[in-house]
Amino acid sequence: MATSQLPLADDLYLAAHDSSRARCLLTPTTLGLGLGAALLGELVLWRRLEVQDNHLTVVDERPTADPPTSAVLEQLLRESHHRQVRDWISFLATGVATELVERRLARAGLVRREEKRGLLGTKVRFVPTDPSLTGWPGTRIRIAATRGELLDSPDLVLTGLVLATGLDQHVFVTLEARERDHLFDQLRRRLPAPLQYLVGHAEAAVGDAVMARRA
Amino acid sequence: MSSTSTPVRESQLSTALARDRLGVAAVVFFVMSAAAPLTVVAGVVPTGLAVTGLTAISIAFLAVAVVLAVFSVGYVAMSRHIANAGAFYAYIARGVGRPFGVGGAWVALLAYNSFQFASYGGFGAIAAPQFAAWFGVELPWWGFALAGWALVAVLGVRDVAVNGKVLGTLLVAEIVLVVVFSVADLFTPDFAASSAPVNPSSLVGAGAGALLVMAVTGFVGFEQSVVFSEESRDPRRTVPRATYIAVALIAVLYAFSAWAMISAAGGKAVERAGAEGPELFFNLASDRLGSTALHLGHALFLTSLIAAMISFHNIIARYTFSLGREGVLPRAFGRTVPATGAPKNGSLAQSALGLIVILVYALAGWDPLVQLFFWGGTLGGIGVLLLITVTSAAVIGYFARNPSGEDAWHRIGAPVLGTALLLVVTYLALTNIAILFGVEPGATPTWAVPLAYAVLTLAGVGWALILRRSRPLVYNGIGMGARSAGAGLSFRDVTSEAHK
Repeated sequence: MATSQLPLADDLYLAAHDSSRARCLLTPTTLGLGLGAALLGELVLWRRLEVQDNHLTVVDERPTADPPTSAVLEQLLRESHHRQVRDWISFLATGVATELVERRLARAGLVRREEKRGLLGTKVRFVPTDPSLTGWPGTRIRIAATRGELLDSPDLVLTGLVLATGLDQHVFVTLEARERDHLFDQLRRRLPAPLQYLVGHAEAAVGDAVMARRA
Repeated sequence: MSSTSTPVRESQLSTALARDRLGVAAVVFFVMSAAAPLTVVAGVVPTGLAVTGLTAISIAFLAVAVVLAVFSVGYVAMSRHIANAGAFYAYIARGVGRPFGVGGAWVALLAYNSFQFASYGGFGAIAAPQFAAWFGVELPWWGFALAGWALVAVLGVRDVAVNGKVLGTLLVAEIVLVVVFSVADLFTPDFAASSAPVNPSSLVGAGAGALLVMAVTGFVGFEQSVVFSEESRDPRRTVPRATYIAVALIAVLYAFSAWAMISAAGGKAVERAGAEGPELFFNLASDRLGSTALHLGHALFLTSLIAAMISFHNIIARYTFSLGREGVLPRAFGRTVPATGAPKNGSLAQSALGLIVILVYALAGWDPLVQLFFWGGTLGGIGVLLLITVTSAAVIGYFARNPSGEDAWHRIGAPVLGTALLLVVTYLALTNIAILFGVEPGATPTWAVPLAYAVLTLAGVGWALILRRSRPLVYNGIGMGARSAGAGLSFRDVTSEAHK
């Protein structure tokens, strides 16, 4: 388990949770925006989507082998008149992305559903089953940065989304300037253009949410 | 994956996004909490009476409301078409030019910071005697100011929104209190319905500019309604409606309350304001209302000042955040606190400035009520007035180049009329600074205030021109929010310094 790489959105979800206290390091909105962009990123990596500036194109309508991305793809096909990237990130951030990712992680046994009964009703949250799991995506990137190694596309997108959501203030806090520069350099030069646009839109969406006081 | 068996008529995407959005009431609420009604009525009006000796404040509120309503027509129309709608500098950058846009950004930072610092002075000056009366706690004004500062500093990084339920309830209580006290004024023994507060000729006489600036300070915050352009239920209707409703409510509330106060003072409004200060608002109504109402009133006055502190802090933090993510200010300002979504360094920087100002005033022994609260508010009010005037001109410029499907009234008619009115008001304001600050003509504030804003504007223009040469991508992105073509990713032209 420790060496396998999870889907991009799952990695982002785990990286966004504090391993010792099993709470989310991001606001629900920011997490939603990040996961929404991550799911779209997965579709790009599955070669189902192309992204150019703010425009999405479905290049292959076949479902993927994976329920969450298939669900998003299906939605995309159903709403063919909506093709703005920002609209889709915003839509997925309304809870859709988080729910899809939590379900996938639960199916893989990586998170479990916890119910807490309080005075004001029952609160449901998803808690990682193995605390050491939450640290792995970040560790993987940090190791690559320290060793000066190259990251593959999914991990590059993950790095970009970590930066876009502000998660880097936790995940990359131990990196030195030189190591951080190594990551930025890879993002600039090796991240394919469609995924660069996607990460850019995620960053813009997070910033716009801050400005509109909905972050 | 199963697919739905019934055909989906409405777009699920549109519905989901729409469900999440705000209506008119939410936006009006937000704007009014930024305007802090009780702070204006109990704080600005009596202090203004004492400092300027002018009583025609009610007609000034109504006149300014009309001017701002006309301004809002073009302003709200343009907000639909630009990113970063909550910041004047974006309008100026798009409609006049990027260099003046940056100039506008610096002016805005000074103006809004002045308002924020002013509320520390007001809070300290009001809390000190109150806490002494209630609890026998004897602290100098700056002790309370620092307590308020600490509260705002903590809430700022936690991004406590002013339209949260608690503060929303306080706002409603504030408004109710103002109405109740004003009505109580009508029944005081000395009440003599005065025509002085609503005398239109005072708007053309000496001191007109001072009255208008005082009135403008009461409305500051209304311009934030457009922040919700993209988050509102019906973009074409929600924001304009909310803006006009807020402006009208504010105007009527303040005008009525000020008139009631001045009438209840039986012709001695200015003298009593000089002697009693903000207590005038409470003393006038105390005849009819019990001590409970008075205590409640004082408590709400303090919470109103805190709400103003938080409001302006959030506005400034977001201005700074916006400038940071565009690269006009160091990108570090474009960072958030991950757990709360607060603009991290923007909030911390504003808190640092606020601390410095409080300490300077404390050490220099300057008066918190007149020299920090009133002067600070006036300085801010003049700045915002300048920004609104230039923004009004920018609206004309923007629509001249991009008609954007708006009709002639929104594109030209209202903006031209609004700009003309605003130019008159600005001229009157700048020539009345001596009256506003209660100083002799030619004294320091009369030239220091215009000079400060002029220097900031030129500094902004200069900085923009430097950016044009050294960082053209950033220059092109000025005022564009995150929609600029080249500036989609902050790590394109960033170093590790920015991501700390």
